[in-house]
Amino acid sequence: MALFAELRRRNVLKVALLYAVASALILWFVQNNGDQLGLPTWTNLFLILLLLIGFPVALLFAWTYEVTPSGLRKAVNVDQTQSIVYKTGQKLNAAVSVLLVLGVLALLGEGLLPKFEFLVPGVPQGNAPVSENSPPEIRSLVLDNGLKIIVWPDHDIPNVVMYNFVRTGGRNEYPGITGISHFFEHMMFLGTEKLEPGEFDRTMEAAGGSNNAYTSNDVTVYTDWFPRSALNVIFEIEADRLENLRTYADAVEAERQVVQSERRSRVDDNNFFKLYEQVRATAFVAHPYQFPVLGWPSDIASWTEADLGRWYQTFYAPNNRTMVFAGDVTAAEIFELAEEFFAPLSAQEPPPAVRTIEPEQQGTRRVAVAAPAQTPLLHMAFHAGSATDPDTPPLNLLLNILVGGESSRLHRALVEDDELVLDINGFQDEGFDPGLAYFYLTLPPGGDAAVVERRVLEELQRVIDDGVTEAEISKARNIVLADFWRGLATIDGKASALGRHEVFLGDYESLFALPDEMEAITVGALQEVAAKVFRVENLTVGVLQEAAE
Amino acid sequence: MRIPRFTVAVLAALCCGSALAEGVTLPAVERVTLENGVVLILHEKDDVPLIGLEASIRGGAVSDPAGLGGMANLLAGMLEKGAGERDAAEFAEAIDAVGGSLGASADLESIAISAEFMARDADLMIELLVDMLRAPLLDDDEVRKLRDRSIDELRAAKDSNLRLLMPIYGNGFLFADHPYGNSLYGSEESLEKITPAVLRDYYNNYFGGDRLVIAVAGDFDAVAIIEKLTAAFGDWRAASAPLPVIEPPAATTGRRVLLVDKPGAAQSYFWIGNVGVGVNHAARAELDIANTLFGGRFTSILMDELRTKAGLTYGASSSLRREAAGGSVAMISSTKTDTSIAAIDLAVALLAKFRDEGVPDNLIASGKNYILGQYAPRFETAQQLAGEFVAIENYGLDASYVNNYGAAIVAADGEAIRSVIEAVYPASDNLVFAIIGDADVIREQVAKYGPVTEMAITDPNFSPQ
Repeated sequence: MALFAELRRRNVLKVALLYAVASALILWFVQNNGDQLGLPTWTNLFLILLLLIGFPVALLFAWTYEVTPSGLRKAVNVDQTQSIVYKTGQKLNAAVSVLLVLGVLALLGEGLLPKFEFLVPGVPQGNAPVSENSPPEIRSLVLDNGLKIIVWPDHDIPNVVMYNFVRTGGRNEYPGITGISHFFEHMMFLGTEKLEPGEFDRTMEAAGGSNNAYTSNDVTVYTDWFPRSALNVIFEIEADRLENLRTYADAVEAERQVVQSERRSRVDDNNFFKLYEQVRATAFVAHPYQFPVLGWPSDIASWTEADLGRWYQTFYAPNNRTMVFAGDVTAAEIFELAEEFFAPLSAQEPPPAVRTIEPEQQGTRRVAVAAPAQTPLLHMAFHAGSATDPDTPPLNLLLNILVGGESSRLHRALVEDDELVLDINGFQDEGFDPGLAYFYLTLPPGGDAAVVERRVLEELQRVIDDGVTEAEISKARNIVLADFWRGLATIDGKASALGRHEVFLGDYESLFALPDEMEAITVGALQEVAAKVFRVENLTVGVLQEAAE
Repeated sequence: MRIPRFTVAVLAALCCGSALAEGVTLPAVERVTLENGVVLILHEKDDVPLIGLEASIRGGAVSDPAGLGGMANLLAGMLEKGAGERDAAEFAEAIDAVGGSLGASADLESIAISAEFMARDADLMIELLVDMLRAPLLDDDEVRKLRDRSIDELRAAKDSNLRLLMPIYGNGFLFADHPYGNSLYGSEESLEKITPAVLRDYYNNYFGGDRLVIAVAGDFDAVAIIEKLTAAFGDWRAASAPLPVIEPPAATTGRRVLLVDKPGAAQSYFWIGNVGVGVNHAARAELDIANTLFGGRFTSILMDELRTKAGLTYGASSSLRREAAGGSVAMISSTKTDTSIAAIDLAVALLAKFRDEGVPDNLIASGKNYILGQYAPRFETAQQLAGEFVAIENYGLDASYVNNYGAAIVAADGEAIRSVIEAVYPASDNLVFAIIGDADVIREQVAKYGPVTEMAITDPNFSPQ
């Protein structure tokens, strides 16, 4: 006990405590900010070892030396009656308390405090947004190889979302290779020079991430959702498959079966898509938008590895892609990782432009599908604009008035008042090229598609003749505005919206101009676009029902 | 030896620090219980100018009267078909005019109401909620319309959405008369029998303040909202009809097969499972890890074998359905008609292997990381948080259900995981099969799985009669 009392008297215990708390704080700080400081990965281990070695040294020092009014002295040389160890002890107490408070604040406030944004020299900072509507924390950068990267930091949750938009889709295809963009999307998961088929997904999931992808008529989009801690792994494996993809013959064949399964699930056993595919193929007589994104069955069966190789070279070049990151990151660290992992990818010749313009439709087109169906389906598609067409925003507002919600015109007329259909919905394509404004309706058993079609056209004619009311356009604006905010409530929504605007409208900042843009559209503009689009000469009608007896 | 107080503080701080390292901590909430039993939970969060609300009336599909399946869900749909001073059209207009969203549907054990409005329209949202819960019109004509449409929508789903229907057939066949086999949507047959009068009776008997939980999260002032909700619901009488007492379901022994004929189907859809466990099962973290590895993520055993290696399917998963008193566990997948037996055989073999061999340790680490990495986004938005608060309340849990989850995942060990696999996943001999497909093609072959009961997809119910 005498030894213990002496340890206390010489403040050794207090020094030990101070050392422990200070070490914890140092380690915590380095762990959390090491990336931004550019510290090498061995720093943590090095520090731990250093601090461990230092601990007995510090204790020995505290035992041996003592603070006196005339400076440090060896304890054995100090007259105990003159000793001021208690004062030193109080100072040590104070120091520990201060560090503890800092430590607790730091731990609790980790989420509240802004991330330390250390400016590492040599890493590009990217460009800030120019519009005052845009959140100022967003940054964008174009690498030398043409790859554009946009970063939206958001530290609400310790997660990150990455979107990779590749400008290839059904519109780049032709008979013989329809569906290849979508098949290629599958191939992107099935092996590189370094990783065997399946390793990409296993690596990502083992790091806490998940992913998905989709293909449309216009783009193929890859999404990763992962915790911050997986950032380096994500960059590594994404860069790997963007540069070193290779096709493993067995994997190609198994995946061909998977895509055929997908076709069966999505189309053969699904009346909506069965009809949708036929209506699109009928509405477009020239433009590649006529091809189903999944591809025609015979083409699915016929793709070759050579087809796939060409696709990769042509479309997956960095200059044909845009990447978006949103979440618990800083722009600086993303751009630094991009320099390391994505800058080495080489730009390629831009892909050939899609030259075909769909000629103006000159009369109603019709397609019928006979299939087992308890509930007949009716689809009505009108040719409309592309994403950048000035008519597209007013048409969006108009579609909200017509089919957005249960107070919408077509829902009230056909579902509630006349009880002609079970439901009615609509959308427009908003792609790179002029697409469709599309209505799809489910009829009750025994429903008469011709009657329903007439009723829809009547309602559309009413808009052409009488326009819409101020109350209706105000409603539509609010629907768009509320959806805008809902989209931004998650980092996934943020990344997706930024990417879509950048890729389809040429400028991610157009996202934030949406509220003002909606405000500027008049009821007159809606009436005009109705007259332009909802003409029977511009209409394709598809009906799916049981074969007639 | 007296331990100095600040030493205790140090230790507390360090312990606190390490717990924060993994998982999610739910934010603090204001919780108010009114005298009549209404529970209000509020959380302010202003990252976006939206206000989200989740409300729940305990009851749900398990409280559907016998033969009148789908009652709770139909009532849920009727709540917004006119309430207070607004008829159906006016109610819809009020929501859409401000870009709001408001809807209700039945879960197994409650009716759930979900709302999300711009922050500036909070008062309107509360007004609509109060009206729909306390004063729905339940107009005769509107009831008839919605009921008839719901029946037709089930027919539409049979045309195009078999994946939605799989668990209905599967759980219905597994649980037989136990309420956990109830279809949320009822059936064409049961819905036909629901009259406006019977629906109003159900509303009058089953709705009341003692069954209501409301969680509000988002950009609003908690004090003001508590006042409004208290004024609106504080005097609501209790529900008069008692809720059914749900006994834990007994597992099936032996095998049996339900074959639902869809002539000409390009694919067969199958659901293979047995009774599982409930929400309060002690080894939750271990079970989540096991299920993630077996069939709960893209690189799961089921996906890897059935899709990636064999190319037999577009998707295969194992689903754990956990309710208050029990649940079910099932493998779900689909495949082209010709390979139905190959796929089902493979799934059954994988399940047996999983029970016998468990999962290797390196895979366990991967599973843990995956669960932890994917956890935080489930609590990202005000709406999600509100939903979580309601679920915790309804299941009689507390914040530790979320807050301790990360640490529980980290701590789960191989032995415990192996033991929960054996305990929860059914043995090969004790399996219930529900298969939708072209019976003319597969009828003979599926007979090997067990005694077969056949029905047609066009039958107006989800269980063989």
